[in-house]
Amino acid sequence: MDIIAQIGLNIVIAGAIYSLAALGFNLIYSTARFFDLGYGAYLIVGGYTVLYFHKMLGFGIIPAVILGMVAAGMVGFLVEKIVYRKLRTRKASSTVLLVASLGVFTVAQGLFAILFSSQFQTLSRDIGSERLFSFFGGIITQTQVLILLVALSIMIVLAYTLKYTPFGKAVRAISDDEEVAQVVGINSEKLLGIVFFIGAAIGGLAGIAAGFDTGIQPMGMALLLSGVIAAIVGGVGNVYGGVLGAFMLAFAENIAAWHIGGEWKFAVAFGILIIFLIFRPQGIFPK
Amino acid sequence: MEYFVHIGILICVYGMVALSLNLVVGETGMISVAQAAFSGIGAYVTALLLLALGINFFLAVILSMLAAGAIAFLVGAIFTRLQEVYYVFGTVGFNVILYTVLLNWNSVTRGPLGIPGIPRPELFGFIFSDNHMFLGLALASLAAIYGLCTFIKNSSFGRVLHAIREDEEATSVFGYATHHYKLAVFTIAAMFTAYASGLYATYISYIDPSTFALPESIFILAMIILGGLSSTRGAVLGAFLLVILPEALRFVGFPSDIAAQMRQMTYGLVLVLLMLYRPQGILGKFRI
Repeated sequence: MDIIAQIGLNIVIAGAIYSLAALGFNLIYSTARFFDLGYGAYLIVGGYTVLYFHKMLGFGIIPAVILGMVAAGMVGFLVEKIVYRKLRTRKASSTVLLVASLGVFTVAQGLFAILFSSQFQTLSRDIGSERLFSFFGGIITQTQVLILLVALSIMIVLAYTLKYTPFGKAVRAISDDEEVAQVVGINSEKLLGIVFFIGAAIGGLAGIAAGFDTGIQPMGMALLLSGVIAAIVGGVGNVYGGVLGAFMLAFAENIAAWHIGGEWKFAVAFGILIIFLIFRPQGIFPK
Repeated sequence: MEYFVHIGILICVYGMVALSLNLVVGETGMISVAQAAFSGIGAYVTALLLLALGINFFLAVILSMLAAGAIAFLVGAIFTRLQEVYYVFGTVGFNVILYTVLLNWNSVTRGPLGIPGIPRPELFGFIFSDNHMFLGLALASLAAIYGLCTFIKNSSFGRVLHAIREDEEATSVFGYATHHYKLAVFTIAAMFTAYASGLYATYISYIDPSTFALPESIFILAMIILGGLSSTRGAVLGAFLLVILPEALRFVGFPSDIAAQMRQMTYGLVLVLLMLYRPQGILGKFRI
C-alpha cells in the first residue's frame, strides 16, 4: 500500500511539472503554429536565474522565482522578435522555424553550460531539512506541495484568462484564423509578443519547479522533451489536452520506473510518443 | 603535424556521415535527426565484434553495416509514414531510445563505462597503427562514399528521390511507390554512416554512449545545412568547417575546458543565422 501511495504521489508531482511545461509550449504553438524548440531555452533561463539569485546571491524564494519567470519571459519575447518574426514575414515553412528554434535551444545549452558548468544542480538551499508530509503512507515534501499548488493555480488562471478576458479571446481568434483575426482589428504581431512572454514565463516556471524537485542541467533536454511529448499526446495546441498528456506521461514513466527500472524512463516516454505519432498524430483531443 | 592528421581523420569521418545524412535530408527532404543513432550501432557492433571474436576489421564493419541497415529498415518502415514535423520527432525519439539502450544494456555495452581497447584495422597482415596511414585509409573511404553518393544522386533512383522532395503526392500519382524509395535511401544512409563510425571506433580506440546522443545528430544536421542541402560537395565542406571552427576558436585563446560547449554554441548559432539569412547553406540547391 505504501509503495502504491508513493508512486501515486510521484505521478501527481511529475504530472504537475510536465503540465506546466506543456501549458507554455501549447500556448505558444496555438498562436505561432510551429514547434518552438527554443522553449527549452526558456526552461533553462528560468531555472538558472533562480539558481543565480536564490542560491548564489541569497535572495528569498519568491523574489527569485518571480525574477526567473520574468527573465524566461523576456528571453521568449526577444527570441520571437529577433528570430521568429523575421522568418514569419518571409513566409518561412514551419520546418525552417523548427530548425531555427533548435539552434536557439542549442546556443542556450552551450551558453549556460559555460556560465554555470554542465553539472546537475539542485535549486534548493536546504536539502534534507525540509518538512515532510505523510499521505496515505506516501511521503511528499513541502516543496512538492508548493509546486502542486502553484501549478494548479497557473492552470486555473490561464484557463480563466483564455476564456473570459479580451486578451484570451484575441489569442483564440488568432489560433482559429490569423487573417480573419487581423481583419477584425487584432494586432497579431503585438499579441504574439505577449503570448511568447507568457508562454516562456510559464516554461521558466516549469524549469524552476523541476530544479527544486530534482535538479537542472544545461545539457538536459528531458523537461523540454517531456513537455513536447505531453503536448503531442494530449493534442498539440489544445491547452487542456496538454495537462492530460502530462499526467498520462507521468503515469507511464513511473509505472515503468517501478517495474523495469528508472533508467528506462526516457525510452518509455519516447515509445509512447512514437506510438502516438503513428496511430494518432493529432493526439487525444485534436484541436 | 600529428594534430593536423588527427583533424584530417575527423573531417573524413564526419564527411562520410554528413554525405550519408545528405541523401536523406538533402536529396529526399526528410529531416532526420537520428544519424548519431546509426553511428552508435555501427561503432558498437564493430567494436564488439573486433573484441569478442577477433575477426578482421573489414568483415566486422560490413557486419555492422548490415546490422545498422536492418535496424534502419525496421525503424524506417514505421517512420516513412510520418509527415514533416512528426517525422522529425519520430527520429528524435529513436535517437533517444537507442542512446538509452547503449547506456543501460550493461551486459553488452558496458553502459557509461564504454568500450576501451578497440584494435586498429588490419589488411593482408598490414596494421594501420600509424596515424598517417590511417588518414590514407580514411581519405580513400571518404572518396569511395563520395563517389557512391554522387552515383546515387545522378541515378534514376536519385531523380525519384528529388521528385519526392519537391512533391511527394505528385510523384506517387506517377506510379512510384514513394514509401519504398524513402525506406531504401534511409537504409542506405544508415549503412554508410555505420561504416564511417566503425572506422572512427578503431581510430579513437574507445567509445562510450555520449558520443551517440541526440546533440551529435543535431551537430551532423548543422553540417549539411551549413554546407548546403542536396550538394555532395557541400556536405564535405560543412563537415570540414564545423570540425575546424571550434579548433580555430581554441587557437584564438578560448580555454580548452569549455571547448565542447563552445562547439555547441557555434553550431547552434550557425543554425539560427543560416535559417535567417541563407537557408540553402553555402553550396545548397534546396531550401528546407
